[in-house]
Amino acid sequence: MNTFLLTDLVSPDANLSIIAPELVVAAAGVIVMIVDSFLPGRRSLTGAISLAGLLLAGVMLVSVWSTGPAMAWNGMIVHDGLRVGFSLVFIFVSLMTVLISTIWVEREHVPAGEYHALLLFATFGMMMMSAGNDLVVIFLGLETLSIATYVMAGLRKADLRSNESAMKYFILGSFASAFLLYGMALVYGATGSTAIHVIADRVATPNFPALLLVGGAMMIIGFGFKVALAPFHVWTPDVYEGAPTPITGFMAAGPKAAALAAFIRIFVLGFPLASAGYQAAGYLHEAWISSLSVLAIITIIVGNTAAIMQSNVKRMLAFSSIAHAGYATVGFIGAGLAKTPSGRDEAIASVAFYMLTYAVTNMGAFAIVTLLAEKNDRRTEFEDYNGIGFKSPILSFSLSLFMLSLLGLPLTAGFIGKVLVFRPAIEAGNRLATALVVVAVVGSAVSAYYYLRLIVVMFFRERLTDWRAPAVPAALAAVLVITVAGVLYLGLFSDGLIQRFAGARSAAVAFVEK
Amino acid sequence: MEFLQNNLLTILILLPVAGAVLTLAHQMFWKQEGQLKWLTLGFTTLTFVVSLLLFGSNTAGASGYSFEQNVPWIRAINTNYHVGVDGLSFWLVILTTFIMPIAVLSTWHAVEKKQTAFYVFLLLLESAMLGVFVSLDLLVFYLFFEASLIPMFFLIGVWGGENRIYAAVKFFIFTALGSLLMLVAIISLFYIYADQTGLGGTFDLVAILDAMRSGNLSITPQAGTLLFLAFALAFSIKVPLFPFHTWLPDAHTEAPTAGSVILAAVLLKMGTYGLMRFNFSLFPEQSREFAWLFITLAIIGIIYGALVAMVQPDVKRLVAYSSVAHMGFVILGMFSFTEMGMQGAVYQMLNHGISTGALFLLVGFIYERRHTRQITDFGGLANVMPIYATIFVITTMSSIGLPFLNGFVGEFMIMLGMFQSQALAVTSAVNWNYIAAMLAGTGVIFAAVYLLWMVQRVFFGKVTNEKNRALADLSWREIGIMVPLLVLMVYMGVYPKPFLKRMDEPVRALQQRVMHPAGGTIAEADHR
Repeated sequence: MNTFLLTDLVSPDANLSIIAPELVVAAAGVIVMIVDSFLPGRRSLTGAISLAGLLLAGVMLVSVWSTGPAMAWNGMIVHDGLRVGFSLVFIFVSLMTVLISTIWVEREHVPAGEYHALLLFATFGMMMMSAGNDLVVIFLGLETLSIATYVMAGLRKADLRSNESAMKYFILGSFASAFLLYGMALVYGATGSTAIHVIADRVATPNFPALLLVGGAMMIIGFGFKVALAPFHVWTPDVYEGAPTPITGFMAAGPKAAALAAFIRIFVLGFPLASAGYQAAGYLHEAWISSLSVLAIITIIVGNTAAIMQSNVKRMLAFSSIAHAGYATVGFIGAGLAKTPSGRDEAIASVAFYMLTYAVTNMGAFAIVTLLAEKNDRRTEFEDYNGIGFKSPILSFSLSLFMLSLLGLPLTAGFIGKVLVFRPAIEAGNRLATALVVVAVVGSAVSAYYYLRLIVVMFFRERLTDWRAPAVPAALAAVLVITVAGVLYLGLFSDGLIQRFAGARSAAVAFVEK
Repeated sequence: MEFLQNNLLTILILLPVAGAVLTLAHQMFWKQEGQLKWLTLGFTTLTFVVSLLLFGSNTAGASGYSFEQNVPWIRAINTNYHVGVDGLSFWLVILTTFIMPIAVLSTWHAVEKKQTAFYVFLLLLESAMLGVFVSLDLLVFYLFFEASLIPMFFLIGVWGGENRIYAAVKFFIFTALGSLLMLVAIISLFYIYADQTGLGGTFDLVAILDAMRSGNLSITPQAGTLLFLAFALAFSIKVPLFPFHTWLPDAHTEAPTAGSVILAAVLLKMGTYGLMRFNFSLFPEQSREFAWLFITLAIIGIIYGALVAMVQPDVKRLVAYSSVAHMGFVILGMFSFTEMGMQGAVYQMLNHGISTGALFLLVGFIYERRHTRQITDFGGLANVMPIYATIFVITTMSSIGLPFLNGFVGEFMIMLGMFQSQALAVTSAVNWNYIAAMLAGTGVIFAAVYLLWMVQRVFFGKVTNEKNRALADLSWREIGIMVPLLVLMVYMGVYPKPFLKRMDEPVRALQQRVMHPAGGTIAEADHR
């Protein structure tokens, strides 16, 4: 595969239609930049272009959902269930972020054009990460995403906390990228390819260099940083607290899911369970499964216990997002352990679906936190929520619903998400995986304490100081309607949607299973 | 009408939800909070009336359940919206719909702040409770079981007494922790079924039981014990069985009157119902194996609850502890594994709902007048409020178990059942079942002591506190609330047959299943 034939150079497998959704998003970003330089300061115009671009990309993705799996660009881009499922999550997150940011952009006088362009480029990066079937493409997507996000975290230039957040995110993010890149290089060295389906093929031979294990470990560290798995999570709370609230919401739901998508693609599809006889490959598989299981257990414990101790709502949500990354990893491990390709695809789909439920819930929660935060994110302590329950029932009950969904209570999206994501791990019947699920369930029980605390504070306490319910702008009202309806819809009637997620197969079926 | 018949249970579940939506809409457009109680009363009464249609249920389907409905819900995890009633759940459904209008009436003047939310939560709670009693799919059951937590959590936390936050959070964490372990057990059951039958997993109780009867599914003793304990823990917390009872006195004392009434009358029954419906039928061997444990805990609960109730200075807390003792009786009857005892247990569930519910209502009446519940603040009330005193005394008698009142029938059957029980006498020469029944009998005596002593201090003698001299007797509304309860107390005490008849078959089937699971009686265990 290293020998490039002349024909490859002459006629590259350029299939523009397969990356059309990504192109639309990128083009929308460019248009926003151009419009902004000619008509500066037109917030609603750039916002509308972003929304239109994202919506169009979303529609295009949905229309090709059940087609595939297919590859193009000499196997660098893949179209399959994993790609579409996760990309829809990204698009949803970005759509909500644009809507939520309207108030914030206005309040803080943020350069809207730049902001919208950055958001679209970040979305493009995420989509490339889930569509990339090549380590290089995945890395490029990751960097596109990361650089845009570094800037967004520091958009509130005059605020020290925002600067600190951006700086920390940048330094630690680059550090993680370096690990990841080094890991990729080692894997390339060991297998001689950067294409994931080729790596899967090569790994399934009796002999392979130990280099592969080192490469895999480095990649786990790199992705661990991006997904915020403990103990690589330490950057999360500070960055999340300091970043502007809408960006925090975006970071918790979007980039995390993107990193998870690439993580799953490389490990589940690239380092699969080997067929009998290839003990070396089996060893690799076992190694990553067990180390990731340990990481997931630590993540769930750390995320939940640390969240209990927070007095700031944003920090609490940051730790809760760490715990949720742990739950999602349970499904990931389930996918790795799946014994049949269809079981694996279902498990991958369940992780994508889980990220969707998390995104819906999380974006709704952050919308309300943004609205209540006032200028400069001043009001984000638990105390600031004291007794506002019946003074602003719509906001508080919606927020309560989101908390219950994060907690995973039945009738909400979070419950269905958790059941789906824990299921493959239980199905695997493996001792470690079962222990993992038990930890995750106990973790959910512990999380009741801090999610309920917000409800308790809002409804059961009395407000001593003066408080006036903020007016809800139209864009934010739209977010609330979408997310509240989404939480209930996903919790009650998600049958059809789950079928669509699970119906799309992942690319590896066509290429590894011969 | 046919539509109503075919979807009766779904309609019952959705009626209160519709009421809640209407309440919200009403508040949004008219902003007349005063009318909301009428709206809520209307909807709960309507639900009650509709639930009476269940009486026409001699049309049990193949699986032994009436008004069955089975629709796929989430196919990816093969869970179905499967509902149905049998003799076990029938009376609990009726009890729920019956107690709700009464609870609403009790709030007439008691709830002043945030009425909209209060009535919305009350209605949502009713839906969740009905769902618990009729679901035949384990996951759907879990869903309703958990869903009933949230409204109660708010009812206690917002409209409760001084220590309400502590009580609400404790209530939530205790119950949620138990039920999460049950969820793990439910999912494990799904995979055990999938593994052994090769049909793919299912959450359907009827399907799982069918597979067990036909021998396609046999849970290993080790796995069975773990699963049994996971289910039992969730339900024991809910009942609550000693030593998991500590959330109950707090929750009861802090909850508003309507909340206490519903908590006592219906929510606690979810625990005992769950034990019978799921633990007994799914894990008959383990149920028998662990009977000694439950009987011991039940007896400790009976005696301990009674002793602690005796020294309570607060009337409501006293009634709350009496609940612990009474629920101990129910558990005792269930785990006697005799038809008599089990029927008595189900009967006692209804009795407890009525008597204790009534006691909480009565405590609520006096609290509205005096804003205190301390026994020492009262004395000689019978002189000032004769009607109130009369009703209170009758209710107390029913709770103690005076013959010709409902409590007697239930407790008598339970103790008789315990005497005949073979659940304990397997191992030794000592007739442990006699000892158990006798110890439980002391509970009845204790109940007489603490309740009558309280009645004496509150109602008889001279009026000691000047503030009590001008108290108004019960209003017509309050009397109206109590009359149906009083009628039932007498009726159920004198003529229990119609009640027992309906629960006869399923209880016998369960008893057979637990006591003779291995023999040729497997077919009998099916109560079709």
